Amino acid sequence: MTQHWIDIKNSNAVLIMGSNAAENHPISFKWVLRAKDQGATVIHVDPKFSRTSARCNFHVPLRSGTDIAFLGGMLRYILEKNLIQREYVAEYTNAGFILGKDYEFKDGLFSGYDPVKRVYDRKKWDFARDENGTPKRDKTLKDPRCVFQVMKKHYARYTLDMVSQVTGVSKANLLKVYDAFGATGKPDKAGTMMYALGWTQHTVGVQNIRLAAIIQLLLGNIGVAGGGVNALRGEPNVQGSTDHAVLWDILPGYLAPPLATQVTLEDYNKVLTPKSADPMSVNWWQNFPKYSVSLFKGWFGEAATPENGYGYDWTPKVEPGEQYSNMFMFDRMYKHQMRGAFFLGHNPAQSMPNTHKIRKALANLDWMVVGEVDHTETTDFWRGPDVDPAKVKTEVFLLPCSHRGEKGGTTTNSGRWQMWHHKGFEPAGTSKSMGQIEVELFHAVRDLYAKEGGAFPEPILKLDMDREYDPEKVAMKVNGWFTRDCTVNGKEFKKGDQVPNFTFLTADGSTTSLCWLYSGSYPEVGKNLTKRRDHTQTEMQAKLGLFPNFSWAWPVNRRIIYNRASVDVNGKPFNPALPVVLYEGDNKWVGDVVDGAGPPMAQPGGKYPFIMHTEGHAQIFGPGRVDGPLPEHYEPAETPLTVNPFSKQMNNPAIRWIESDMDQLAKHGDPRFPIVLTTYGVTEHWLSGTDSRNTKIILEAEPQLYLEMSHELAKEKGIANGDVVEIESIRGKVQAVAMVTIRVVPFKVMGKTVHLVGMPFAFGWTTPGVGDSTNRLTPTVGDPNTYIPEYKASLVNVRKAPKITELER
Amino acid sequence: MDISRRGFIKLMGAGTACLGLSGLGLDVKPALAYTTTMKTAGAKEVVSICPYCSCGCNIIMFIKDGKFISSEGDPDYPVSEGSLCAKGASFHALHMNPHRVIQPLYRAPGSSEWVEKDWDFMLGTIARRLKDVRDKDFKEKNDKGQVVNRLDTVMHVGSALMDNEECAVTVQALRAMGVYQIDHQARV
Amino acid sequence: MTKSFLIDTSRCTACRGCQIACKEWKDFPAVHTLQTGTHQNPPDLGPYNYKLIRFKEYKINNRVEWLFFPEQCRHCDEPGCKAGADAIMEGAIIKDKDTGAVLYTELTKQFTPQQAEDVRSMCPYNVPRWSKEKGELTKCDMCFDRITNGAVPACVKTCCTGCMNFGEREAMIKLGNERLEKIRKTYPKATLLDPDEVSVIFLVTEDRKLYHEFAERRTPAPLPGMGRQEFLASLTRPFKAMFG
Repeated sequence: MTQHWIDIKNSNAVLIMGSNAAENHPISFKWVLRAKDQGATVIHVDPKFSRTSARCNFHVPLRSGTDIAFLGGMLRYILEKNLIQREYVAEYTNAGFILGKDYEFKDGLFSGYDPVKRVYDRKKWDFARDENGTPKRDKTLKDPRCVFQVMKKHYARYTLDMVSQVTGVSKANLLKVYDAFGATGKPDKAGTMMYALGWTQHTVGVQNIRLAAIIQLLLGNIGVAGGGVNALRGEPNVQGSTDHAVLWDILPGYLAPPLATQVTLEDYNKVLTPKSADPMSVNWWQNFPKYSVSLFKGWFGEAATPENGYGYDWTPKVEPGEQYSNMFMFDRMYKHQMRGAFFLGHNPAQSMPNTHKIRKALANLDWMVVGEVDHTETTDFWRGPDVDPAKVKTEVFLLPCSHRGEKGGTTTNSGRWQMWHHKGFEPAGTSKSMGQIEVELFHAVRDLYAKEGGAFPEPILKLDMDREYDPEKVAMKVNGWFTRDCTVNGKEFKKGDQVPNFTFLTADGSTTSLCWLYSGSYPEVGKNLTKRRDHTQTEMQAKLGLFPNFSWAWPVNRRIIYNRASVDVNGKPFNPALPVVLYEGDNKWVGDVVDGAGPPMAQPGGKYPFIMHTEGHAQIFGPGRVDGPLPEHYEPAETPLTVNPFSKQMNNPAIRWIESDMDQLAKHGDPRFPIVLTTYGVTEHWLSGTDSRNTKIILEAEPQLYLEMSHELAKEKGIANGDVVEIESIRGKVQAVAMVTIRVVPFKVMGKTVHLVGMPFAFGWTTPGVGDSTNRLTPTVGDPNTYIPEYKASLVNVRKAPKITELER
Repeated sequence: MDISRRGFIKLMGAGTACLGLSGLGLDVKPALAYTTTMKTAGAKEVVSICPYCSCGCNIIMFIKDGKFISSEGDPDYPVSEGSLCAKGASFHALHMNPHRVIQPLYRAPGSSEWVEKDWDFMLGTIARRLKDVRDKDFKEKNDKGQVVNRLDTVMHVGSALMDNEECAVTVQALRAMGVYQIDHQARV
Repeated sequence: MTKSFLIDTSRCTACRGCQIACKEWKDFPAVHTLQTGTHQNPPDLGPYNYKLIRFKEYKINNRVEWLFFPEQCRHCDEPGCKAGADAIMEGAIIKDKDTGAVLYTELTKQFTPQQAEDVRSMCPYNVPRWSKEKGELTKCDMCFDRITNGAVPACVKTCCTGCMNFGEREAMIKLGNERLEKIRKTYPKATLLDPDEVSVIFLVTEDRKLYHEFAERRTPAPLPGMGRQEFLASLTRPFKAMFG
């Protein structure tokens, strides 16, 4: 989230799209309804009418997978009606940047496309630059090659007619949303967008969010009170676990992973440290080497020296352009290229797409280690439906993990608040915390290497890791400390002192930090700010709903990021009634912790507000994504249409397809599978359901797998409410109970009727009689930037189950 | 723990109260059978955080004699103000789940059952498996002769359930062993 | 001054925090349920379900209205169940004068199944349920242990949107009227249900009949012309025959 939960109350319009907030983030509705109480229009755009829709001013049903068309239409409308916040757009975004001569967009393709490799050469999308390398600008936004004009032309095709035809949303409904949300372009009005997996789980997931951000920038809705683009994180700590990079494609703090081509630390740092000649650009990532060196120093301690690149030399390097995310790893597993696997608190045999393939792949492992609190479809895959245990050679180690109440440590909420939770009682049985398990496993391996030697033992033997997992000590190490006496920023520190915050990190090995973003959370020994419970706030903060002394937020306790964009170039708040930061002169700001140092932009020494971008401007034109600098509508990988009305490119041209005998996709407009399936969570369950299904008072409220469908489709198929139905995709069949409802409606798309059905995915066979994985239906295809799978739109058919086999009746 | 307790003190106050029956003219006995002592009276309060979505609702756990007896929303958490949804409200039941795995379990290749093992066996055997595959498959250089120092045949998935500190040590340990095929729920 | 609830259904998101919090606080076991084509589960109130969100959906004025009704005992000012029980066994059902809570005591265990059914059928909202397992009549007790110790009922404590409210009766009536005035701008049919007769006041936005068969108050009063003595005497007969 760019804002935080409470700040939603300050919005004048709340667009909930790609999220079912009332069901999946119920507490968020405390703040959504407070905004509504004060007159905000609350809008839900979603394929089905849910508990969220029930409390909104209105709900607009949308064919799943057409968000870009919908938002593209909104963008066009905003420009046409001139609803933009002009000063914000001209001064703070790259709308005025002039594009280089190579940029082009034609019939669904951007310039630089290689159809064989299915990748773009992104250099073709660069800006025209002056002799210092600074992009050329036209702040009047009139130059035909400036981003603003190019964008205007790009979205000129997104007419009301076209958008209505593609999305299945009536023109009246489109206008209702466009008008209500477009009204927040006034400087003193704020609109917020709340999204979740409904936007990310598409083959155009990243571009869905890009377009949302572009609209918010045009309306001046980022950094202000009540404005933002807000990912409602789905897991208790998915914010923190991403910040800490439990991922192949980043290192902690969003540092890129070392590549095989980056031989030395110098190579690595050089490539990743951007340069800007513009004195007004903070260009925050110029600090990259301080963060990378402090990380490696934290990992390898005393053994990290300039000679070994502070341990960089020992760390694994990946192949440029190769993919290692979930879908690809499991594909390797399926193809017998993986020998061992660790699954901690993860249930891929239930939650990954095309779970038939995943369940088969697990049997191709030599061994697997699972850390869990329950038996899951993954831990017990070897005795699953239609599996003969005698034929499964995988050796399985199931390690019991402690539950939340049995351990202490921090999690980070969606608003980036890092909060300590305390241990309440002893773990059940001999279960251990995942942290303890990881540390003990590492030491068991290290002991073997110490005794026997073996392949490349240095990094294992020299890692700086205690034998006991102590969350308090690790929290200190995440913040970082000084490794020797030194002076930084004119301040003297002793060896062992905590680093006050990341502005004191260095690139010479004198500091450590396991994640620079979190530096500042533990600034002194004995001062763990994540444990703060203090409600003290100034009057200004109280009005905003800001609690600066309750826990701690990254970065540097800033609660609303990009908040420097809430004031004009002279430092005057766009919304004087609700300022986020106020300039008091002399480099002093009050309210929230201001983004970056220095006075307002127009004053001497002033800086551009979007400090994380090299050019200091928010990116309406985003040349960093692999599939295009401006979002464009492509159909889902499986679509009921046979042509994409917007262009000749049916699907996202940058998708990397996964190919195996089990990775079938329905044809475009496949008559065998004419119905769109979307999948989702439900209030009472959580993700793959292992925790909630095993909490029986929750299972009681939502006991079995169901399929929500319209009365029209039910009639067509001869299905009655409560019947058990069989849903079939090209990849598998699933049984569920039909819930025939007026909350799902057929769509009129390009002149024909398209039916949509929806299912939760929380029910699995280890809980008898409740049904089994919905993901037996979904395809292994994902967004080319993130490779998040396209769970939200695939093709199926539905019929009354000839024989009930998966559900208790 | 430094806890300011907006109104919550009251909840824990006397812990018991008497049902006022005087004047009702009724036999007091049956009414007194009505519990007027809160089950949480005298329990220790410890703040935890809901392990479901990212609203991060703080939850008060009531602990009596080392046992977790009840839980409810923490009114001091400014986001939830003490409220909880269905899942958060079942925090205590979640921990009491009888289906839980509480001892290490081992399933041998081809076997149709779990066997309970101790931690020494589990950690020792896993370390052996990992070391064997690492010694065999570890790649110091790729096909182009570039230094890569990685293990291509072992992967690690999870978890967004982990605390930040757990994530930090996990990533550190994995990358030191050359395991880089790491992923978790951020991508599903 | 007694206590009251204001249940503002216009704010309910059916998150079912209240339904679960009630079970948690009472340490009730789960009951076995099946999906039958609705989110409403369990299908009805029961000995282990004093609180239940009822779900109903309608198309009204071309708009989907999904109505949520957090059902529970209304703690009537003059409880029908108590009148019925008094005729059988004084003290089996009592009304606490301080809080207004209607409480079923251990004495209800002495009811014969027929007597329990008679008492049950006196409820104008069809709330009490006979527990075969416990051998007693059951329903919400206003979290009597909590409210007499300064806490609010578990369902109110857990509510995230301000749908469930609890406090002094006067304050709840005031809050209800304030909310009503606001909500009527959008929902002209909005109304408070039986505010003068119950301690648990629902604010609904549509015709009460749409929420639930028993959202409508039945009148379990003596038949016309029947005096109190006659009425009490009649309690040996099933009530359903009287006003069925």
